[in-house]
Amino acid sequence: MLSSLRTGVKGLWRASSRALQTSSTLQHDSLFVHRDTPEDNPNIPFEFTEQNQKRVDALLAIYPEGHKRAAMIPLLDLAQRQNNGWLPISAMHKVAEILNLPRMRVYEVATFYTMFIRRPIGKYHVQVCTTTPCWLRGSDAVLNAIKEATGCEVGGNSPCGKFSLSEVECLGACVNAPMLQVNDDYYEDLTVEDTKEIIEKLKKDEKPLPGPRSGRFASEPLGGLTSLTEEPTGPGFGVQDGLKA
Amino acid sequence: MSLGKYLALDKLANLFNILKQNGGIRGTLYKLYRQEEAKDGVLVGEDKFGNKYYENPRYFYGRSRWVEYNEKFHLNYDASQVTSEWYGWLHYKTDLPPHQDPSRPKYKWMIDGNENLSGTTGQYTPYSTTRPKVEAWMPKKAE
Amino acid sequence: MLRQPLSRALALSSPARVAPLAARRYADAVPAQPEKVEVFIDDQPVHVLPGTTVLQAAAQVGVEIPRFCYHERLAVAGNCRMCLVEVEKSPKPVAACAMPVMKGMRVKTNSDLTRKAREGVMEFLLVNHPLDCPICDQGGECDLQDQSMAFGSDRSRFTDIHFSGKRAVEDKDVGPLIKTIMTRCIHCTRCIRFASEVAGVDDFGTTGRGTEMQVGTYVEKMFLSELSGNIIDLCPVGALTSKPYSFAARPWETRRIDSVDVLDPLGSNIVVATRTNEVLRILPRTNEEINEEWLSDKSRFACDGLKRQRLVTPMLKDSRGNLAPVEWEDAVVAAARALRDCPPDKLLAVAGGLADAEALVALKDLLNRLGSEHVCTEHYFPTQGAGTDLRSSYLLNTKIANVEDADFVLLIGTNTRFEAPLLNARIRKAFIHKETDVALVGPKVDLTYEYTHVGDSASIVKDFASGTSSHEVMKRLQQAKRPVVILGADQLKSEEGPALLAYTQELAHKLQENLQDKEWKVLNVLQRTASQVAALDIGYQPGVGQALAAGPKVVYLLGADSGVVTRESLPEDVTIIYQGHHGDVGASIADIVLPGAAYTEKRATYVNAEGRAQQTLVAVSPPGKAREDWKIIRALSEVLGAGLPYDTLDEVRDRLSQVSPALVAYGDVQPNNYFAQARALAQSLQKPVSGKLDVQLKQLEDFFMTDAISRASPTMAKCVQAVLKQKNSPY
Repeated sequence: MLSSLRTGVKGLWRASSRALQTSSTLQHDSLFVHRDTPEDNPNIPFEFTEQNQKRVDALLAIYPEGHKRAAMIPLLDLAQRQNNGWLPISAMHKVAEILNLPRMRVYEVATFYTMFIRRPIGKYHVQVCTTTPCWLRGSDAVLNAIKEATGCEVGGNSPCGKFSLSEVECLGACVNAPMLQVNDDYYEDLTVEDTKEIIEKLKKDEKPLPGPRSGRFASEPLGGLTSLTEEPTGPGFGVQDGLKA
Repeated sequence: MSLGKYLALDKLANLFNILKQNGGIRGTLYKLYRQEEAKDGVLVGEDKFGNKYYENPRYFYGRSRWVEYNEKFHLNYDASQVTSEWYGWLHYKTDLPPHQDPSRPKYKWMIDGNENLSGTTGQYTPYSTTRPKVEAWMPKKAE
Repeated sequence: MLRQPLSRALALSSPARVAPLAARRYADAVPAQPEKVEVFIDDQPVHVLPGTTVLQAAAQVGVEIPRFCYHERLAVAGNCRMCLVEVEKSPKPVAACAMPVMKGMRVKTNSDLTRKAREGVMEFLLVNHPLDCPICDQGGECDLQDQSMAFGSDRSRFTDIHFSGKRAVEDKDVGPLIKTIMTRCIHCTRCIRFASEVAGVDDFGTTGRGTEMQVGTYVEKMFLSELSGNIIDLCPVGALTSKPYSFAARPWETRRIDSVDVLDPLGSNIVVATRTNEVLRILPRTNEEINEEWLSDKSRFACDGLKRQRLVTPMLKDSRGNLAPVEWEDAVVAAARALRDCPPDKLLAVAGGLADAEALVALKDLLNRLGSEHVCTEHYFPTQGAGTDLRSSYLLNTKIANVEDADFVLLIGTNTRFEAPLLNARIRKAFIHKETDVALVGPKVDLTYEYTHVGDSASIVKDFASGTSSHEVMKRLQQAKRPVVILGADQLKSEEGPALLAYTQELAHKLQENLQDKEWKVLNVLQRTASQVAALDIGYQPGVGQALAAGPKVVYLLGADSGVVTRESLPEDVTIIYQGHHGDVGASIADIVLPGAAYTEKRATYVNAEGRAQQTLVAVSPPGKAREDWKIIRALSEVLGAGLPYDTLDEVRDRLSQVSPALVAYGDVQPNNYFAQARALAQSLQKPVSGKLDVQLKQLEDFFMTDAISRASPTMAKCVQAVLKQKNSPY
């Protein structure tokens, strides 16, 4: 009896709940407002190291007086490199201070460019290209291999904190597809095994050899040249006789 | 037409009757002062406020039933002091006065009629629950 | 940031990199006018200067091109694309707001291509704009609403609600004045440009990109500026609306009455929006001579103070010393008795900062009839030398609008940012667009632009005046073609005030002597209140110091709330009559309270710091038993048996014009002269000075509550709280 009462009540509740029309919103994987976190807040001091300070001066020297704000992107990049690959808010403040600009102007630039990462990430930022040429050549398998090896989800950090995984659009290495980028290095012509090997090495903090894994030097055809195979012609080739010296 | 009528003796009799019923010349003058009218008639009944209801079919229809308000109202009598029970009889809706009418419903929820309090201190004053648009300054009270 | 010439960009970089002042180039006085070019707008020929945009050229022939991001007083952004028009021989429609005209250009503002382009832009804007007009405060005065009616499509093709949906953006908290509903934002960036260019508070910007771009502050930071309310007017949609006015009324329900602001000395022109005898909001009214189309936050948002702490009934002190409400007859008779029984030399009248000229003249006439000459204002002004006899010595002679043309501004002991925010906005405008430089003698304050801080010692002014200063500012002043010297009236209160004024006059005179432009006025004195100029014109004595020392028996306070008159400074047996509209400092010490009308409740004359007479109009009726101020004094005079010879407002104004025709020349400023005479009379006052200059309003929190109305305003109190909270924030 009690159970029938319960279903009755449940039915009532269901009848009164409306089918609410919702719309999904477009979501970017990063946030364009700042939230204070223990890792990222303006009370954490940020200073350029002595070595980087020299770089800052050198960068500023490139730009003419009155246009120093053009050094913003290089300075932000320098700050990001110094801070293990991500850009805390105090670093933005530091850059604003160096350039004597309102902080908002720095926030604008830092949020515009996707290569400025405004949340803590792992030591190795693995970016897998999944645009059409790489995808046709098996980037999905590469991506899954990385997920398995590191335990990262796309857009997240690994449990060990060493890796971050991103899915990115074309990195301009389509001839060597599929490829991935770890921090500043490209690893190209990948197979699943190659990918696993790269991750394993990174786990041991060894640096895998960047570049194509297929034995190619760069983007030349795998099976040797198919054109431009003959000896290059020397100077004067095809010039009419009258003009020859 | 009898001689008495011809000589308007019946009118005279009525006058005496009215004077008698209203308590002599003094009483009649008081009635005239208070309700601008002095009539003779049969007392039909009295309501809970002490108003007395009279009837005299000699007066033409419309004036043959009337109420004399309780003395306590003096000149402040008002038509709303006629109770709802007597209202019907007074306005010829029924010929049976309330105490002789067995068919009148009596329910628990029926409440007694009240007189109209407009124009008196007991009247209803509408009020607003919205905040005043302008907040007045309250001076500090000296200790 | 700003579009600015190279040399200005130099100045804005770090202090160490500022180029020497003297090395900078200055715009020539009158650049040669280039030849006008002829363009055709819808086949109507119009001749415009080269560099004019298509949109401006169209406006000259009365063709209005729809726009969202373009605003006459802000830099061109060109990002909303609503102003697309067809130009003959151009393959694509062009953005009229950013396209300079070219010779013989034929613009079609109503062709098929133009209309299709507008419709397309409007459709894209509406794709990511919520359809919440019924709950939007901008409804009825929304550019997007109006323009979608005029130029948009009559039907929607938007079906994406089930797939990707409309963009949703998180609201920002930018303080107690501005409510943000960022989902409604159409990214016109007007607020960003206003904050950066006019307000000088670079807190707004765009973050992110593409469909995720949002306008905001990125960090949690309030937009705290003395001009912040203007971004509400600028916002073409309902993304930025007024917090105090939220959900209060629709624009078509309100009655709009043109009036004049009295909360700062500039007399900004305002529109008072009322409904059912209640002031709902105050908006700026364009006056190029004074406030352009901006309004300071105090003037705009302090209007809720008009509904608080009001004096609505006359009051008398009862036997226990408590003020108790009484009828007008009792109060007037009590006041008349006090005035009658008092010996004339023991009578004193003090006018406060919000008093209108009619009340001032009536009060002065009344006291004169009673045989007293003791009528004074709360704020002091030196009476030695020329004193207040020469109008030029207490006015902003340069005029507010002309400050834009100045090439060097010297501020002496004044924080124009908070004493006269719109004058400061003018100086900032000149600083940014006209290469004007600014120097300040006084405490270091944030003026929103860079300036040379000369120091805060009064002796600097002496050195400038005598020409013995070796400071570079001195050289710049002497070289300037149109210099402006602005002296804060607050400095004149001190012992050294007369000397400071004398030196300033001397300096201004010397500078003016050397000018090519003989019409240019150098000397300016910035008063602090809206009534001071009118009071001095009418013949009030500035300052109450001497009068209080004489030990008056009856003190008549006409809205005197600044706290210079206290019980402690007066004899025990004094009777204080307070006439005014707010229960503030004055009313709390009064024995008799006569409720007057505030500036939105009377037709009254105010003279601004330039000496420009302007009148307020009746927007709402005075609350309760309050009456117009001059009428109260007129009634009092009748009871006293010294009836004043005017019964109507026109007659009072006739009297005003007898006192000074300038008081009723509405909207005009009389040119001032006699600078040389004033200086000559003041020469004996040039005594050594050693004091420090200080200003009252240093920080933003000081700005919001300065007079009886703004002190009664809950919104202003919230602003002060917000500023203090922001100060503790790390951003």
